[in-house]
Amino acid sequence: MALASVCGFDFKAGKSKLSLGFGEGFGGPSAVDALAASQSFTVPQGIDISQNLARFTDEKSDVKIHFDHGTTTLAFKFKDGVIVAVDSRATAGPYIASQTVKKVIEINPYLLGTMAGGAADCSFWERVLAQQCRVYELRNKTRISVAAASKLLANIVYDYKGMGLSMGTMIVGWDKRGPGLYYVDSDGERLDGSVFSVGSGSVYAYGVLDSGYKWDLAVDEAYDLGKRAIYHATHRDAYSGGVVNLYHMRETGWIKVSQTDVQELHFKYKAEKK
Amino acid sequence: MSILAYNGAAIIAMKGKDCVAIAADRRFGVQAQTVSMDFDKVFEMGPHLFVGLPGLATDVQTISQRLKFRLNLYELRENRRIKPQTFMSMVSNLLYERRFGPYFVEPVIAGLDSKTNQPYIASMDLIGCPMITDDFVVSGTCSEQMYGMCESLWEPDLSPDDLFETISQALMNAFDRDALSGWGGVVYIIEKDKVTKKLLKTRMD
Amino acid sequence: MEAMAMMPYQQEQTNHIERPIQHRFSPYDFNGGTVLAIAGEDFAVIASDTRLMTGFSILARDVPKTTQYTTNTVVGSCGFHGDVLTLTKVIQTRLKMFTYLHQKEMDTSSVAAMLSTVLYYRRFFPYYVYNIVAGIDTEGKGCVYSFDPVGSYERETYRAGGSASSMLQPLLDNQIGMKNQEGAKQVPLAKAKAVALVKDVFTSAAERDIHTGDAVCIHVITKQGTTKETYPLRRD
Repeated sequence: MALASVCGFDFKAGKSKLSLGFGEGFGGPSAVDALAASQSFTVPQGIDISQNLARFTDEKSDVKIHFDHGTTTLAFKFKDGVIVAVDSRATAGPYIASQTVKKVIEINPYLLGTMAGGAADCSFWERVLAQQCRVYELRNKTRISVAAASKLLANIVYDYKGMGLSMGTMIVGWDKRGPGLYYVDSDGERLDGSVFSVGSGSVYAYGVLDSGYKWDLAVDEAYDLGKRAIYHATHRDAYSGGVVNLYHMRETGWIKVSQTDVQELHFKYKAEKK
Repeated sequence: MSILAYNGAAIIAMKGKDCVAIAADRRFGVQAQTVSMDFDKVFEMGPHLFVGLPGLATDVQTISQRLKFRLNLYELRENRRIKPQTFMSMVSNLLYERRFGPYFVEPVIAGLDSKTNQPYIASMDLIGCPMITDDFVVSGTCSEQMYGMCESLWEPDLSPDDLFETISQALMNAFDRDALSGWGGVVYIIEKDKVTKKLLKTRMD
Repeated sequence: MEAMAMMPYQQEQTNHIERPIQHRFSPYDFNGGTVLAIAGEDFAVIASDTRLMTGFSILARDVPKTTQYTTNTVVGSCGFHGDVLTLTKVIQTRLKMFTYLHQKEMDTSSVAAMLSTVLYYRRFFPYYVYNIVAGIDTEGKGCVYSFDPVGSYERETYRAGGSASSMLQPLLDNQIGMKNQEGAKQVPLAKAKAVALVKDVFTSAAERDIHTGDAVCIHVITKQGTTKETYPLRRD
């Protein structure tokens, strides 16, 4: 409870849902005043939110609201830290909206988040998480642990359960317990683990990852494994593609290792087979 | 999701000066999963006549075989090569026979006339309504993208080499914005005395 | 059942109205329109067509989808025009408040960040608007930001949005991104070439997309300010 109140959850008023510390006086869910509504969540009154939205995201609907969706992401722990690798494709239906999405969200120098599901949901809530982690740091004069940070995110999205949020994210970091890796999704699930992959291409990534994974991987081998797993996912999964963005979480914080076009990897791996 | 977009495809046919070209992607997939990257969607129906069949893969193969069968009977009976116009009617007829339980393909036809060597291209919807044009026809899951590319790149009287460049660029850039098609491409350039088949090196994601 | 069996004629009459007809108010419409933005070395170009549609009818032929927000920020918004107007009103008020408070104009990247949160606060009842922000960044370079309806955004060098976006985007990939051109060098895009390209691709889009036409309104943004030009498209 202490952590929750430090981080701005207002349990007393019972309105923690719609005003997660975004200032006083703007908590109301009214859409009457568009300006006031632009500084807090607006919710239509008297209808089921997720069903209402489904009417317009539906394929058959005349008015089609397509949200960008993210796709293959992975992270694994090994002896020298945590590797995070992601693709960069965003699709709206079968249309490829972008090939250059940044699906690794840099929360702070010791925390990374990944993006799968709704792009806006992930970037917005991980931004909120970044803000709350900073507040924690200022109040406690110490960095937040990966466990606490991931739980903060899980608790926020749990408040919105059933309202149609869509995110599958991995929170990666390094704290006094060493490397940390948690899976958090919009259903409110939060898991601690050493190998995760999220998104429609995750089945292909897991295949490569599981066959090449060892705790004692050398750093170069680990980089290669991350890249390979994402490449194979982009190759077989229609909704993954673009470039592989590779990050390494170390004791001293994260570094961005590389950004490689999967086309380049395709011909490199093809040449290796011969 | 539409059955026409279950497997994914992209096909273009274009007219040039005394030549035509037809190009297709090579993906066979089942919704998001790419199964193979050497799937044929363009079929040779004669020395100067090709048909491209984007749509449901099972119907693509059935139709290509039934068309070849009807074409063989026609050419045996008439003892001469079929004209592209006549072949177009044959395709249209085959599709309209299934008016109320259609095959899920929207064919593209490209060829040179067997007598006059005039370029000919046409496309049709899944129940056989033909559309014959003087510039280009497109069909498949990224038709909007292909229209955008062709509308800006195409110009009249392209030479075979320029036609190849135009149709390849149109196809590749179009399917690079479509999740369901791509994974390699094939182009046939049809001229009076030769047909050239070229495979394209493309993005494989 | 028995009564009906005796009067088959009447049953036939009532057969097709057995199902209750549902009427529900839809808070959205689609009014068409296409927006296109290109970032250059020290300039940005943003253009939109001026047709406003609903279904198959044309509501107006002279409504550009672009709005100038600051000296060097122009936003293109299309989708549902009602939402476009409300969103524009909200953003402009917020910008005014910012200017009064800080005694300076907001820069383009901040406009983009603010737009993102304004959009996300309607996550559960979205603005049906696709936005593209074009302007000059703090280093004097041209910049373009594109958005989805709930505020996911990304900085890019070129972007097409709206009804003909899927026709224009692959062409921009090819002509500006030099995609699928092996060995081609990335040459800095000249302002005149960018404007010519915009006119060219809008002419193509108007040819095939019924929601795009009438005219295209082109803004060229530099550090000094913005110039506006209108170029006719087909009107059928």
